[in-house]
Amino acid sequence: MAVILRVENLHKSFKVGFIPKKKKILKGISLEVKEGEIFGYLGPNGAGKTTTLKCILGLIFPEKGNIKIFNQPHLSLKAKEKVGYLPENPYFYDYLTATEFLQFYCQLSLLKKKEKEEKIPQLLRLVGLEESADLQLRKFSRGMLQRIGLAQALIHDPSLIFLDEPLGGLDPLGRKEIRDIIVRLKEEGKTVFLCSHILQDIEMICDQVAIIVNGQIVNQGSLQDLISEKILFTEITLSGINSDNLKNIGEVISSTGGKTLVKVVNEDNIEKVIDIVHRQKGKIHSLIPRTATLEDLFVDMVKQR
Amino acid sequence: MKIKAIAANTFREAIRDRILYLLLFFAAASLIFSRLLALLTVGDRVKIIKDVGLASLSLFGALMAILMGTGLVYKEIDKKTIYTLLSKPIHRYQFLLGKYLGLVLTLLVMLSLMSLIFLAIVFAHTLRVEWPLLVAIFYIFIEICLITAVAIFFSCFSTPILSSIFSLSFYLIGHLSWGLEAPISKMKPGLVKILAQIVYTFLPDLENFNFKTEIVHHLPLPSKVFLFSAAYGIFYIIFLLALAVLVFRKRDFI
Amino acid sequence: MKKSIVALILIVSLAAFMALKVKVDKISRAKIPGSSIIYLPSGKYLKYGTFGYSSLLADLIYLWAIQYYSNYSIKDRFQYLDHIFSVIAELDPHYLDPYEIGAIIAVYEARDLNLAFKILDRGLQKNPDQWIFPFEAGHYAQMTVKDYHLAQIYYKKAMEIPGAPPITKRLYANAAFNVGDYQTAWNSWKEVYQTAPDERIKKIASAHLYRIKSTLDIKTLKKAIARYKLKFGTRPQTLSELVRAGLLASLPRDLDGKNYLYNPQTGEVEAPSNPWKR
Repeated sequence: MAVILRVENLHKSFKVGFIPKKKKILKGISLEVKEGEIFGYLGPNGAGKTTTLKCILGLIFPEKGNIKIFNQPHLSLKAKEKVGYLPENPYFYDYLTATEFLQFYCQLSLLKKKEKEEKIPQLLRLVGLEESADLQLRKFSRGMLQRIGLAQALIHDPSLIFLDEPLGGLDPLGRKEIRDIIVRLKEEGKTVFLCSHILQDIEMICDQVAIIVNGQIVNQGSLQDLISEKILFTEITLSGINSDNLKNIGEVISSTGGKTLVKVVNEDNIEKVIDIVHRQKGKIHSLIPRTATLEDLFVDMVKQR
Repeated sequence: MKIKAIAANTFREAIRDRILYLLLFFAAASLIFSRLLALLTVGDRVKIIKDVGLASLSLFGALMAILMGTGLVYKEIDKKTIYTLLSKPIHRYQFLLGKYLGLVLTLLVMLSLMSLIFLAIVFAHTLRVEWPLLVAIFYIFIEICLITAVAIFFSCFSTPILSSIFSLSFYLIGHLSWGLEAPISKMKPGLVKILAQIVYTFLPDLENFNFKTEIVHHLPLPSKVFLFSAAYGIFYIIFLLALAVLVFRKRDFI
Repeated sequence: MKKSIVALILIVSLAAFMALKVKVDKISRAKIPGSSIIYLPSGKYLKYGTFGYSSLLADLIYLWAIQYYSNYSIKDRFQYLDHIFSVIAELDPHYLDPYEIGAIIAVYEARDLNLAFKILDRGLQKNPDQWIFPFEAGHYAQMTVKDYHLAQIYYKKAMEIPGAPPITKRLYANAAFNVGDYQTAWNSWKEVYQTAPDERIKKIASAHLYRIKSTLDIKTLKKAIARYKLKFGTRPQTLSELVRAGLLASLPRDLDGKNYLYNPQTGEVEAPSNPWKR
């Protein structure tokens, strides 16, 4: 698969404070995004996610480093034509209606008139806003703004789409819808670069992941490789047995209303717990094996710094 | 054209700004006030109406230019609407030029409205349409375009309040710089005098666009003045916009 | 756009507008910016609009007026001279320069003497302690139109203001003499003589007194000569004959006690000395 975004050794500092002190935000960021994948870019607040993104998009100028999009210099018009961007907490011109808004952006992308007329209703349908086509943006809810922002990012049919916290502030239904749209984009052959805090969503849809902490990439690779499928431990909810019996087998996490939650690490110990319950005529309410999640990995990485 | 798209969008946004209508109201008020002044004055009554009228147009036009221009680019940066715009395949200079042209269009509309009221009041007094007044108004418009360019330039890197102060200073300097000509010409020849002359030539001379007195008093004017003054204005505007583009090009949008 | 192209445009436009500015400056324009001041309403109303900055406004208008009136290319600039200076006076009556300068412009540029008097009168009215205004008015009366009567009136006014220089009195006396008011002139010069601080002034006073006496005496003598002629058909041979004929009680002598010189051929009577060379 071709590498369509290549970032090499990106450095950026800002001058902060009244007596300007140089603060280094990006300390040598390198990453590669291949065509057709959904790339997750995560990190704690202030790590440099948005800064990286803005460097790629030409909103900020890095001190050092190289960025190439589709093998073009990232600031060239050719590169920009293939790129779409949805910023975090988007804000748009209040007084325009959804349709007028998309028309304006169409004009900036040099689409032909006919294409424009078809594209706009199509996009509105895609993001689920066809009923609000003539509503002024000032009356849009947060979720609606996210969607129209997504529509704007897709307006000129870009091949590489940058989304900065696209699921922020959405209700679970909204998040599902956007997730579905992103997956659909992948199916259409597009590449998505996703910055997010919400690790569960990243886990659900991303192929590749890079973790940035304190201006440096601390881990990078395919999601599968990063999270082993090894089962970490099993959580068993049971009742009706004497907790003392469980002492060496598992860890009692909590015990409320007659139900006890036990954490069992070894697979063999699970058998033993089931055995004890059976013998003491107790009841097993649930048995859930827990694999390593992205969150665990994430917290680990952050703690290491 | 992309510049046209941005200009149209800017116009739509600017024309909704309530400040414009507030200033329009004050302009209309002062035009009506000129009628009152005419009653108190010693001399030709219509002349005072013309004078106050043209002065109002000039002053309120300048205020509109400053207030709108200084907020224009800053608002886009502050509200972050600029992010999506600049990530599209457009050059930064196209954005800036589009903003400028949109604002100029807005001011043209506002100035035309004020002029209409003004000419109507003059017509009510003289029962004639005074075409030479349009020449004076045209040059007022050029002056306003220049002030707008300054405001946009400052708005590229400064907050609205500071930009307004700088733009206002530009306006004042522009109207007072003619006073330097006499003292400089009397200086002893030498390096200091040459430096002073260079600074003097660089300083804006907004009086070049001020034909109010001649037109109101029906004084003759050599036709060269019109051409050169307009050219002066246009080149100064180009200079300021080029400067703004240079500043804007490498600006980081944090 | 490439940086170099923008920089090029920058430099070219800079050069262009600076060159144009030089060109435009060379074209002279028959105006001074701000001439709309001419249409200011009367100063009384203006004061209300200036929110306490009336004296500043007076300064500004005055400064503007000086520029305006120095600009010879404006042809009929004196049309509103009275109005402008009256506005300045209303705004700041105690600003003294404008009265003097306004009068100067009126006299020498506008050639309107009455306006000058009007301005100076106003100055005195608003500032009764300023002897300079009637002093200058007297000068203008005396020197430009030789109106000694008016000059006398003005010098008197000036004289009476404490602080007026001693020369004022002398000018007053001189004006009185020229108008023919010999009594006043005599009295005034006598006072000057008596209060003279030094020899020089004494000498001047004495000369004037001599002149007054001799003028009066010569008049008297001439009148007597005319009566003699009427009575006797010819002019007398000597002045003493006038006394012998009973036409004069005694022969007047000049201030030094000398006799007047008489030429029987022409009938002219002269003072024996030059008042200034005694």
